[in-house]
Amino acid sequence: MTGKSGKKLRYLLASGALALTAVLSACGGGGSGGASSDGSVTLNFLHWRGEDVKALDALIGKFETANPKIKVEMQTLPSDQYQSTAQAKLSDGSVGDVFASFPGAQFDALAKAGVFADLSGSAFLDNFNADLIEAGQQEGKQLAVPYQLVYNDPIYNVKLFEKYGLTPPKDWEGFLALCQTLKDNGIIPIAFAGADIGPGQFMNTMVMNNEPSDDIFTKVEAGEAKLTDEWWVKTLTQIKELNDKGYFQPDALGTKDAAAGALFIQEKAGMLASGSYQLAQNAAQNPELEQALLAPITVSESEAKYEGVHTSTFMLAVNSKSKHPEEAKKFLDYLSQPEAAGEYANATGQNVTVDGVSYDSPELKIAEAWTGKKTLFQPRFTIKNGDNQKAVTNSIQAVLGGSTPEEAAREAQAVIDQNLSKS
Amino acid sequence: MKNNRLKHKRVLWLFLLPGTLLYLFLFAYPTLSGLFYSFTDWDSVSPSYNMVGLDNYKDSFDSLVFRKTLLNNVKFMLSVVIVQTVVSLVLALLLSRNTRTRVFLRALYFLPAILSSVSVGLIWSFVYDPTIGMLNLGLRGAGLDGLAQNWIGDRRIALYAIAAVQVWAHAGQMMIVFIAGLQAIPGELYESARIDGGSRFQLFRKITWPLLAPSSAIVIAYTTIQSFKAFDLIFVMTDGGPNNATEILSTYIYHTAFGNYEFGLASAGSMIFLVVLAILTYLQFKALRTDRAF
Repeated sequence: MTGKSGKKLRYLLASGALALTAVLSACGGGGSGGASSDGSVTLNFLHWRGEDVKALDALIGKFETANPKIKVEMQTLPSDQYQSTAQAKLSDGSVGDVFASFPGAQFDALAKAGVFADLSGSAFLDNFNADLIEAGQQEGKQLAVPYQLVYNDPIYNVKLFEKYGLTPPKDWEGFLALCQTLKDNGIIPIAFAGADIGPGQFMNTMVMNNEPSDDIFTKVEAGEAKLTDEWWVKTLTQIKELNDKGYFQPDALGTKDAAAGALFIQEKAGMLASGSYQLAQNAAQNPELEQALLAPITVSESEAKYEGVHTSTFMLAVNSKSKHPEEAKKFLDYLSQPEAAGEYANATGQNVTVDGVSYDSPELKIAEAWTGKKTLFQPRFTIKNGDNQKAVTNSIQAVLGGSTPEEAAREAQAVIDQNLSKS
Repeated sequence: MKNNRLKHKRVLWLFLLPGTLLYLFLFAYPTLSGLFYSFTDWDSVSPSYNMVGLDNYKDSFDSLVFRKTLLNNVKFMLSVVIVQTVVSLVLALLLSRNTRTRVFLRALYFLPAILSSVSVGLIWSFVYDPTIGMLNLGLRGAGLDGLAQNWIGDRRIALYAIAAVQVWAHAGQMMIVFIAGLQAIPGELYESARIDGGSRFQLFRKITWPLLAPSSAIVIAYTTIQSFKAFDLIFVMTDGGPNNATEILSTYIYHTAFGNYEFGLASAGSMIFLVVLAILTYLQFKALRTDRAF
């Protein structure tokens, strides 16, 4: 090929190659940092809590000053995106020398894929409350350390309770009587976000004393127990009772989280079926609000096994594919020091699982007071299959929508049976 | 001379290369890999997977949730296609002439189309709230308490409440397509029909509707595809609830892949989704063939 057309073709091919290179390089992405010639290493820290970046940046700065040869690059993804894409990024080791995971289905999937490095035996584990980091264990190995601590127990308005002479009840009859008193005085007893988070939050305290064993949902998923058994039908019956007696706001199934929160913040509702994570936000919107936590006890006082529910989340871990596992563990060690954990907690308004932390704000102290209580790890998160989890919360929506507890339980069990037949 | 022309033609083919590469990379490759993964049990995390043949397709059709999802999608699609086509056509007929007021109203009705569907979903979640929502407050304020509903909380009406939002958001956009079609119809046709004594309805039936067929085909095909893909609206407003009453194929696929980590099963759902859409689009174009003699 000669002359002008040959030149044109070469130019065209060169341009095409350039364009292709640009496309392919754009698809390449960053990747976990390596070691530089002076022996310093860069760790990639991947998580979803964009709201904590400022607090974590300050901690990373201090860590880097104390460890000049380790640099930490923080990368955050929105939580929805984190649920959907993080696992693919983590599994090839391209990012996340240190990373966070959600308890439940994501933790289980990542553990199955071997993404977690085993942290068992690391000295820094002693800095944590041993009971609260159990959620990061699997088959006797500590694969991750849950950093944040949340109590998934309803919040109540202390002043309203005092006004009507109410105290947190110790049994189901007492809880119903409390709701009736609030209702008689024109107060919505429970603001319930039935359209989104409500069923998934409220089911935990409602089932904690009804379930025959702590691993009941594991047994349900293994086919060794059923949602049509007495304990779940009873839980659904009690939730339906609350709804039928008008203890939730009208049409609770159409109410979303923000609207339910507004009812509580405006002091139109005595309780809010959410958890301690909501305390700071409520206080920010109504500084006059005095809040505390309360879990409905669904059995008699003598039968009650638990006082409430907790969730330890934001599970920090080291990637098994990391090129710098020791440096990554060093970073976790730093975050587990009570001073660093305290700084994180007070800056972010989140309680932590680290022992010996001193909290500044009244809201953090409310949750701290619950560390001495007998609480159960959030039962919903013991359901490993997302489809099954949804079937369980759907059965709550079904009873609020008019189904009988038996029908709703049967419908949910049918989904679980189908998933069992697949596995 | 002939040789030169051939060379020139070959060079022209090269101009197609960037587009073809992008198509292969961004469409053909993901579709084919989706097809491949639909025959596996890959969980999107594990480095390995097993080939499971047609199990994912069988599991999908056996699944109560999937069957409910398909049915929901059909109900949602029919509601949106029928109502949106009628509303946008009526709006177009009313606003097709270029006067200042009509141009302003067109812009007003088109406005929701430029909002992101996430914003639309959030706004309407508040409008529909049974306790503090504008809709129920307005109805109660007007003494129409009986019409106040639990719009997105009642499983019998939640899907249709979201369909109404979909129509609100996109009817203005489809109105523009119809207006373009209406303005392309020669005025002489109406003039001669009027001279022949044609009534308004006859003018619409014999001239407007047949000549709007290409626009209708576009509107119906686009609305169908759009209603199958109404992911963000449903994700924001109900996330498929209550009790799967608003779960449609696109949200089901998302929940299966990223909530349950069953990528193989979700890929099978995507392939079924693709086939359903292809069949529907084909049938619509067949039914609304624009080359038909009227």
